[in-house]
Amino acid sequence: MRPFQFHTPNTFEEAFEMATSKTAYLAGGTNQVDLMKKHIATPENVINLKNVSTNTIETTNDGIRLGAGSTNNEVANHPQILQHYPLVSKAILAGASPQIRNMATTGGNLLQRTRCPYFYDTALPCNKRDPGSGCSALKGNQRMSAIIGYSSKCVAVHPSDFCVALVALDAEVETTQSDGTSKTTTFEDFHRLPGENPEKDTNLPENALITSVFVPKNAFGNNIAYVKIRERDSYAFALVSVAAALEIRNGTIEVARLASGGVAHKPWRWKNAENYLKNKSATLENFEAAAKLVLSETEPLAHNSFKTGLLEGAIITALSQAADNTLETKW
Amino acid sequence: MVKPFNILSNRKGRVEGKAKVTGKALYSAEYELPKLAHGVLVGSTITNGKIIGIDTSIAKEIPGVIDVLSYWNKPNIAALENAEKRKDFPIHHTFFHTTKIDFNDQPIALVVAETLEDASFAASLVKAQYEENKDMDIDFDNVRKRVDLNDMKDDRGSSSNWQNAPHIVDQEYEIAMEVHNPMEMHATIAQWDSANSLRVYDKSQGVNAVQNNLGALFNLDPKNIRVTSEFVGGGFGSGLNMWFNTVAASLAAKQLNRPVKVVLTRPQMFTMVGYRPESWQRVKIGAATDGKLLGVIHQSKHTKSQNHHFSEGITAIAHKVYGFENVQRNATTVPLHLSSPTWMRGPGDSTGTFGVESAIDELCYKMDVDPVDIRMKNIAPYEMQTGNPWSSHFLDECLQRGAETIGWENRPTKPLQLKEGNWYTGYGMAVGLWNAMRRHAGASIEMDKKGNLVIRTAMTDIGTGTGEAIVNMAHEFLGIPREKIKIELGDSIHPKAVTQGGSWGLSSLSGAIAAASTALKEKLATYASTNDQQWKAASIVLGENEISMQGKPDQKVTYASLFTKNNLDTIMVEEYSSAGEEREKYGFCSSAAHFYRVKVHALTGQVKMDRMVIVVDAGTIVNPQAAANQIIGAGVGGVGMALTEKQEVDINSGRLVGNDFAGYHVAVNADVPLIEVSFIDKPDPHINPMGAKGLGEVGLIGAAPAITNAIYNAIGVRFRKLPVTPDKVTSSFNSSA
Repeated sequence: MRPFQFHTPNTFEEAFEMATSKTAYLAGGTNQVDLMKKHIATPENVINLKNVSTNTIETTNDGIRLGAGSTNNEVANHPQILQHYPLVSKAILAGASPQIRNMATTGGNLLQRTRCPYFYDTALPCNKRDPGSGCSALKGNQRMSAIIGYSSKCVAVHPSDFCVALVALDAEVETTQSDGTSKTTTFEDFHRLPGENPEKDTNLPENALITSVFVPKNAFGNNIAYVKIRERDSYAFALVSVAAALEIRNGTIEVARLASGGVAHKPWRWKNAENYLKNKSATLENFEAAAKLVLSETEPLAHNSFKTGLLEGAIITALSQAADNTLETKW
Repeated sequence: MVKPFNILSNRKGRVEGKAKVTGKALYSAEYELPKLAHGVLVGSTITNGKIIGIDTSIAKEIPGVIDVLSYWNKPNIAALENAEKRKDFPIHHTFFHTTKIDFNDQPIALVVAETLEDASFAASLVKAQYEENKDMDIDFDNVRKRVDLNDMKDDRGSSSNWQNAPHIVDQEYEIAMEVHNPMEMHATIAQWDSANSLRVYDKSQGVNAVQNNLGALFNLDPKNIRVTSEFVGGGFGSGLNMWFNTVAASLAAKQLNRPVKVVLTRPQMFTMVGYRPESWQRVKIGAATDGKLLGVIHQSKHTKSQNHHFSEGITAIAHKVYGFENVQRNATTVPLHLSSPTWMRGPGDSTGTFGVESAIDELCYKMDVDPVDIRMKNIAPYEMQTGNPWSSHFLDECLQRGAETIGWENRPTKPLQLKEGNWYTGYGMAVGLWNAMRRHAGASIEMDKKGNLVIRTAMTDIGTGTGEAIVNMAHEFLGIPREKIKIELGDSIHPKAVTQGGSWGLSSLSGAIAAASTALKEKLATYASTNDQQWKAASIVLGENEISMQGKPDQKVTYASLFTKNNLDTIMVEEYSSAGEEREKYGFCSSAAHFYRVKVHALTGQVKMDRMVIVVDAGTIVNPQAAANQIIGAGVGGVGMALTEKQEVDINSGRLVGNDFAGYHVAVNADVPLIEVSFIDKPDPHINPMGAKGLGEVGLIGAAPAITNAIYNAIGVRFRKLPVTPDKVTSSFNSSA
């Protein structure tokens, strides 16, 4: 680890004042510290946000606000979340391990870097880590690579489970900038596609910090599901994951939300499939058709076409489980 | 032997347990020495070629950096001074004495600094210049086709007369590269007390082997080298060799004349301490209509590195387990530009067993016979290679008990019969067998005036509970209360003992403990005997405060009076023991039967272990809790082999992909049910004084094929390539649909 100065400011203003061009912000540290240990991030200046970010979780008239400093476990086990936003809880609990979830925060989760293995190997080219050096995954091992939205510069995927639920639920990201102004971004627009600049994961401006994530009220009740397919049953990143939420009245789907992790550079919404399901009955045939529609949009790489088969199964399973309104943990 | 005491109580825990959970137990990296410097290894970033220069100038600018060792900066070692001499040493001892690069991440430098942080940051700044050879052999599947099989020259019977057998299975099986990765990273602290005296703390499965290796390297009498490996955070075979971390720390300590610690990073654990090689095998088995197995052809290939020969016997297992009269074996190794593989739990046999036990299962479905019946019918009636009768062999009882426990009779005999929602359920079984060995080991016992004992041996405890087993054995042989026994292990100043591994540790030690116990009783008999009262060594029982004679309740003498009478401070005995002529007369093996139930999800491809029943014959069970612990761990390892573990290699660069605990998936608690372990627990009459046969390996052997056999029973798809990841399951459903 490169030696660094460590600061623990008490306000956003102080934090911004301490920031230099070689600054890294530290929240839970569950990814940032790894990056520093592996010399992928070599900040000279580490600003600890512990006293700056709030961990408050507050219910408002139109939704719930998760302070950027709230830990994954605080969110996942919050009574309001469990009752009104169970998809958020299920997605969080599908990720990492209890120890990591005790440290990892809401804000940090959004800003974690990819888990593409080439990003973590400083001996090999990676445009995300070292812009212009090339993409090793493009012709390499693609088990953890994208099947949609990638570019010739980068095929990495965003690793979060939490974010898949948030994008499905139309969450918003609230940020504060060094000039004191606040801004709200839709969750879908917060993360970006790699394009020509894969080194940038998000649209968060340079001098800005996440203050909270707002999740609007919804009428999905228990008609939600999070299905994650991975290499082992706990503590593994998704090969593919699916968040599904349905508003069903008299057997007819009025609103459908369908999102995936492990498929793209950002948490991915399957809007065409959502539209397809709208006003259709909640039947296996329709779920299968929605899955086929999703598959028709994907463009797997040479060595990860297996992901489409997994995705299809995960979508059908998630929609079926959401329609069953069971909230069972095992699918 | 007669067992006077009902010893094998169910005392829970381990003699060293409290020290371990309170952090008092010191692992090799945890010793604090004055002026200790920290070394971090730098690996090559090319796979094949030559290192022609190294730029350490930026690294050396980092405050705290003391020196950077490499080919160009190292102490003179006479034993390695020329290429001819270096041939006597494995390549992983000589990385600083060669410019040739044969695999990616081959150690090229050691950065030594005042702190670990300084050393690891500076290590990231070392730049090397290479002449790179872009040709490299990385892809096992391709390269193995260029390498011919060798005849193992021990064929039995005929390989032609059964080729028209009524039932034949002829299939190929493959297993991915697996890495050991015990929790504790390999670590060494080396300190030269003088030019001729080396002190080493080393994570190792055998301190005497490290002592000898370092002696050869530095031209020292092993007596002048002390190696300590008191606690080992898991070995699994990775600690059987002495690796470069030990050499690098010793070289640096010599160069800098101060103690140096080298701890491998987690990614270095993937390239610097061996792994289970990727393998291919072909198994052809023929059977008669009555289920008699007629013949086997077993062929195998596995990876090795360019410059270090490593070969494990994958094809030896079929005719150990079954009474094949016709056996043909062919094998070879495939040199790749990867680091050296090494022994990993159940080496060879666990790989070969995947092929054999899968093939027999395939045969059973072809023949429509019960997989348990065909095994019962064909268990080798004696040791096939020698013709010797088994000393003890209760695989049949393992099979019966396992079948009963899991309800084998009620299983579906055809695939796709049990379905609930999208989950299919299936049952599978397989057996495992491992030669039960015994090697040379010594132990000493020191008794003080209060009758307290300290038992010492150089053997390490690699996490298997060796210390507690010694307590139990000493209690068995002497009758002494367990609380009066202290154990000191894993130090070369103690009586020499064989490296802990190969499931022979406890078996070997039991001879030493028995011999030392006998010697102690003989001394006590001599000290206690008077003209009026004779003491017979064999009948002495050691109590809390006194010794007594078995069957003579009135004959007693306290430790205090015994020591005073004879003017003693301590009583010391030291004894060594080896296997004897029983090895010429009998075959020795441990065995296991695995009976598993799995659930397979048709849409997501998830395979869920639903029940795991493992029944083991390992002779006397000396420490029931630790023994079960071993088998449970082996079962989890089997789940990893079958379902999750695969080390990926980047074909373009030769670097490992995802070489950390996030990228390489060992099975975790969530992947396994409560594993149901039981032991036959009948003493072997000849193997050693305890009647105990080793059980470290056998729990893993057979676990993986039992899982794939159960998957076949669930969904009718035969997986011959491990691991069976969810994508393979879904694509097999899609292709069959």
